Amino acid sequence: MIVALLIFHGLLAVALLGALTHQALSVASSGARSDRRSFSFFDRFRSVNSAAYATPVVLMFAVTALCGALLYPKYRVDVRPALEDLQLRAPNGIFEIKEHLVAVGLGILPGYWFFWRAPLAPEQARTRRNLTWLLAFLVWWAFLTGHVLNNIKGL
Amino acid sequence: MRYPSAKIFTLVFGPLYVLCFYVDISLFRYYPETAQFHWQMTQNEGPPILWYGWLAVAGLTSAAIALLVPPQWANRLWPGWVWLLPVIVVVVILLYEVRWFV
Repeated sequence: MIVALLIFHGLLAVALLGALTHQALSVASSGARSDRRSFSFFDRFRSVNSAAYATPVVLMFAVTALCGALLYPKYRVDVRPALEDLQLRAPNGIFEIKEHLVAVGLGILPGYWFFWRAPLAPEQARTRRNLTWLLAFLVWWAFLTGHVLNNIKGL
Repeated sequence: MRYPSAKIFTLVFGPLYVLCFYVDISLFRYYPETAQFHWQMTQNEGPPILWYGWLAVAGLTSAAIALLVPPQWANRLWPGWVWLLPVIVVVVILLYEVRWFV
């Protein structure tokens, strides 16, 4: 059961990471786009309907965090004592930061959703961009931390 | 604009969460070794998980504040606070957790 939940958590995290990265890059510098048609991979990666990602991001973040919360007791009993025995303070630290950043992310979701609702107000583009980039940073941190810790000692 | 209380929730949640974990204000504690919830710190049950309790306090308090703040006040708020305050919260958390790496 734990393994199935961990795999689901990981897959959902990949989807969330992809969605947020698409959205974050699409709003990175929308004002500086040139009119000429560009066919680079990067331009295609960015040219998405950013607003369409908002609700899926909120749902995926919430469900991924819930899965993480359900896995947490197993981590606390099996993984953390092992890290402490091995005196691996840095991996312990990045996980502590992960739990705090995920909490901050949960708090950001209502505001993020509010500013991404249609119709999008042009004067709020900066707020939308910064909230999206902040959320993307939190998700990247959580994702990489989960991978590193799972490599050190899996659940 | 509809649902301006969402902004207030985001604004209040981060600082409240930091306060909860710094001062250890946890609504309850979960003891994973015995799979039990307790309101208070309990001996001989193994290490507790406080994170759920911090989230509960920050979430419930933020929701209450967000609902109490009049919508016209929320609408008048500078939108930048909604991202700036969480950024400050993240910086504070990173600075506090540097202790793991020294």
